[in-house]
Amino acid sequence: MKARKVAKLNPEGTLGDAVRRVVAVRARELESFVPRALDPGKSKAQHDMRIAAKRLRYVLEIAAPALRQPATDGAKAAKRLQTVLGEIHDCDEMLARTQTHIERLRAEDAEALRNAATGAADIEPEAARAAPNRARYRGLESLTTYLTARRAVLFERFVHQWEELDRDGFATSLMESLSAASTAGPEVNDSEQASGSRVDGGAA
Amino acid sequence: MAKARPIPGLEASTRFGDAAAAAVETRTREVFGHAAGVLDTGDVERVHDMRVATRRLRSALEIFAPCFPRKPYKRALGDVKALADALGARRDPDVALERLDEIRDGFHAADGAGVESLAAELRDEQAVGNERLSAALKAVREGDLESRLIVLAEEARR
Repeated sequence: MKARKVAKLNPEGTLGDAVRRVVAVRARELESFVPRALDPGKSKAQHDMRIAAKRLRYVLEIAAPALRQPATDGAKAAKRLQTVLGEIHDCDEMLARTQTHIERLRAEDAEALRNAATGAADIEPEAARAAPNRARYRGLESLTTYLTARRAVLFERFVHQWEELDRDGFATSLMESLSAASTAGPEVNDSEQASGSRVDGGAA
Repeated sequence: MAKARPIPGLEASTRFGDAAAAAVETRTREVFGHAAGVLDTGDVERVHDMRVATRRLRSALEIFAPCFPRKPYKRALGDVKALADALGARRDPDVALERLDEIRDGFHAADGAGVESLAAELRDEQAVGNERLSAALKAVREGDLESRLIVLAEEARR
């Protein structure tokens, strides 16, 4: 997921001003995945929201010495969100991997049974007893069941966390607390933008 | 997981370019401070620490992007991303293997064969990831990425 651009960042401005601009964009970006990410079937939206939480967390961590407790608290909230969404993503990845593995074992077994019946008109059901991977399916099905259930539990935790964070409007309350903590730096206007030799508007 | 090193001298009133220099210097030292022993699959925390440090460095580079000269910035960011991808290729199977070990401990013994067959596949992937990481670390050394990042950071002070 490509990060949204942050306008009007100037090397000659202050850290406090720049961080507020970056956090405002990153917090809105995080919010933009709701309500899609609150649908349990929208794993892509949940994955993208995790990346957005990570981006927000890292900028708040850098800002913490300058913007103190509100930045630290915001970073912790973003980290909690990132963690639960990361665990959901891990379940999704492992589920997909397990399904691919089962399909591979099934194909291997079918081929082995077919090869053993070369020249026969049909295959007896007893032939399945000799399938090389026959002892493996049970564990992989248990794993699929467990991961599906765990994902559902983690998803409920994510929804609960988000509802708590968003009770007063996540981005708005974060920005208000950061503004209160910051010593306001000089406003940056368009004519103060960095020279063309510098990188344009950060994709921070 | 290693905690992020504090970035010295940051205040809300710090010039953005000076904050960029301090952040990128600190995060660069952090990444290369974790480089020793990352290819050791017996100690998976090392690659984890270096990966997290690399993510923090990448994030710092992106946050402070307007403070750096474009060409060396783009090159350095690309190299940091390539290193992060290689660390991920090693770390992802590490994480999955750790998780499978925990799960297997809780499962019925009769489920062990299935879980082990998946783990074996992951160990093969881990070995491939380690080769990719080895090549990426060599490229980083040969391209002198650490020095380029320090020079880049210094540029942000001007």
